[in-house]
Amino acid sequence: MSAHHVDPSLPGESAAAAVMIEARGVQKWYPNGYHALRGCDLTVRRGEVVVIMGPSGSGKSTFLRTFNALEDFQKGSITVDGITLTDDTRHIDAIRREVGMVFQQFNLFPHLTVLDNLTLAPVLVRRRSRSEVRKQAMALLERVGIAEQAGKYPGQLSGGQQQRVAIARALCMEPRILLFDEPTSALDPEMVREVLEVMQNLAADAITMVVVTHEVKFARQVAHRVVLMAEGEVVEEAEPETFFTNPRQERSRRFLDQIL
Amino acid sequence: MNAWVQRLRRELFATPLDGLISVVLLGLITVAGVSLLRWACGGARWAVVQVNSTLFAVGRYPLEQQWRLWLLVALLAAASGVGWGMLRSHPRPDRGGILWPRNDRIAVVCLLAAALLLPALLGLALAVQLRWWGLVALLLLLRWLAGRWGPSLPLPAKRLLPLGLPLLYLLGMVLIGGGLGLAPVPPSAWGGLLLTLLEASFAILLCFPLGVLLALGRRSELPVLRWGSVAYIEFIRGAPLITLLFLGQNMLGFLLPGGLAPERVWRAAWVLTLFAAAYLAEAVRSGLAAVPRGQLEAARSLGMSLPQAFSQVVLPQALRVALPTMVGQFISLLQDTTLLSLIGLMELLGTARTVMANPAFLGRNAEVYFTLAVLFWCCCAALGLGSRALERRLDPAAIARSG
Repeated sequence: MSAHHVDPSLPGESAAAAVMIEARGVQKWYPNGYHALRGCDLTVRRGEVVVIMGPSGSGKSTFLRTFNALEDFQKGSITVDGITLTDDTRHIDAIRREVGMVFQQFNLFPHLTVLDNLTLAPVLVRRRSRSEVRKQAMALLERVGIAEQAGKYPGQLSGGQQQRVAIARALCMEPRILLFDEPTSALDPEMVREVLEVMQNLAADAITMVVVTHEVKFARQVAHRVVLMAEGEVVEEAEPETFFTNPRQERSRRFLDQIL
Repeated sequence: MNAWVQRLRRELFATPLDGLISVVLLGLITVAGVSLLRWACGGARWAVVQVNSTLFAVGRYPLEQQWRLWLLVALLAAASGVGWGMLRSHPRPDRGGILWPRNDRIAVVCLLAAALLLPALLGLALAVQLRWWGLVALLLLLRWLAGRWGPSLPLPAKRLLPLGLPLLYLLGMVLIGGGLGLAPVPPSAWGGLLLTLLEASFAILLCFPLGVLLALGRRSELPVLRWGSVAYIEFIRGAPLITLLFLGQNMLGFLLPGGLAPERVWRAAWVLTLFAAAYLAEAVRSGLAAVPRGQLEAARSLGMSLPQAFSQVVLPQALRVALPTMVGQFISLLQDTTLLSLIGLMELLGTARTVMANPAFLGRNAEVYFTLAVLFWCCCAALGLGSRALERRLDPAAIARSG
């Protein structure tokens, strides 16, 4: 049985749950000829938390960034929430409205206050009323535990607080899927936990999440599935317990030996 | 007093070498200052400036129409007062409730001194002196009113206030040039400081959007746009302004659609604009390069379109970085207007040259050039002050520190 083939059923959910992300045979070459993705498959269903792990340079971030068209690809197909990614910018914009993204470097807007960071896109893109969005934004800041910082600028916050603001900013667009690109890699160790806790709470609310991370504990406790990538390919896909205790592939074992 | 002495000792005479350098420099400054003062009060004959003050201010603008310019200056004074007061009432924690911070009190004293001294020194008629006093009084009155009651204005009104500035500019153009029932005054009659400021402000206002577009074009993914922008910027930056000015006088007539550049004054203004836009584009480009790539990605991943992402996220940050360079270019643009005298326009330097060519004022070049230098210095200092205030206002770090 190929490593790409995994029982799609979820723990505690029906196998009929809607497919949110469907990536088939995705290949990407960089302009310099480097073959970054060599035919990657992934299916993410509604409410699922999928963790992508792998050594650096394995293409995991690149793969994640193809889902909301921050990276283009040359072969294969990606369908997000029923919309197929093409060069058509209307499709790309439609997908980006439904897919939130949290970056390694937070990428908050430094010239806007925390509250304005949250409200900017919903008001501009969704054309919602400013006062309504403000109310929702304050509720979200409350939820990630930094409502009292709403009037400050990102530069005044710690890394952990900034990343929580970034999560709230993504949530304020009411996305159907959240993508996390190494959300804790740029944080000091003591701030990793506060961010992971927020993410864990989101998972408990059954938000569909795809997370690129090195946090084994998070993957074990929160993920429904773990995907291992190496050299631009999906090497193994399994439930976390199976993956961490009894991986099928030799490549997975070597990776786990290095990080555990 | 003791603290002052200690500070002087620390800053000027910390070591014997420091002391020596300080003494030599202070001596040189004193000698230069004293001889300048002796020349200004003794040797110089300021009649050349006193007699020609109107010429320096507005050139050969018809006397019976000059009330329009007075009205314009009054409007500008009013707008400055309101703007000053509104900026000061900006709800920043460090300014809470202080209507007249120390810098503002210094500015008021300087303004009053200038209003009382300058017209008197220029030997203006008492009626004209009174007008200047009135203008300063108007400015300060509106500064006070705006500072006092500006903050309690409803938000929409505050948002609408800045829109008054472009309206004021258009109104100013009508007042200067005529139209809407006012008798036309042809551009050939404009001169002196009026023409200098008109050319400079026209070029500054128009080169800004042009420069931003060129900078964006230079980073565009469309090859035609990118190479077009690069070619334009490099061509303009490779040619001296004076050749472009001569070229403009000869060529703009063919290039611009009929009627847009019929007059020498306007041709020169367009050349200045197009010239400054190329340099401004480079300043904006450096600002754009300073904005991390992740900012655009974050904006795009939130579903913003490319124009939205640029106008709301990338450009505000890029322009803040580029602001000091841009203002530096505005200042040199203001000074570059003196080149217009070489193509025969009667702006400040052109006017000065006609005055100096008058046999009645033979040999009074020093006084004229000195006056010109002071006038330009005042204009550039105002631009610099304004830009530093704007920089502080736009810097989130500074706002954060004060909070």
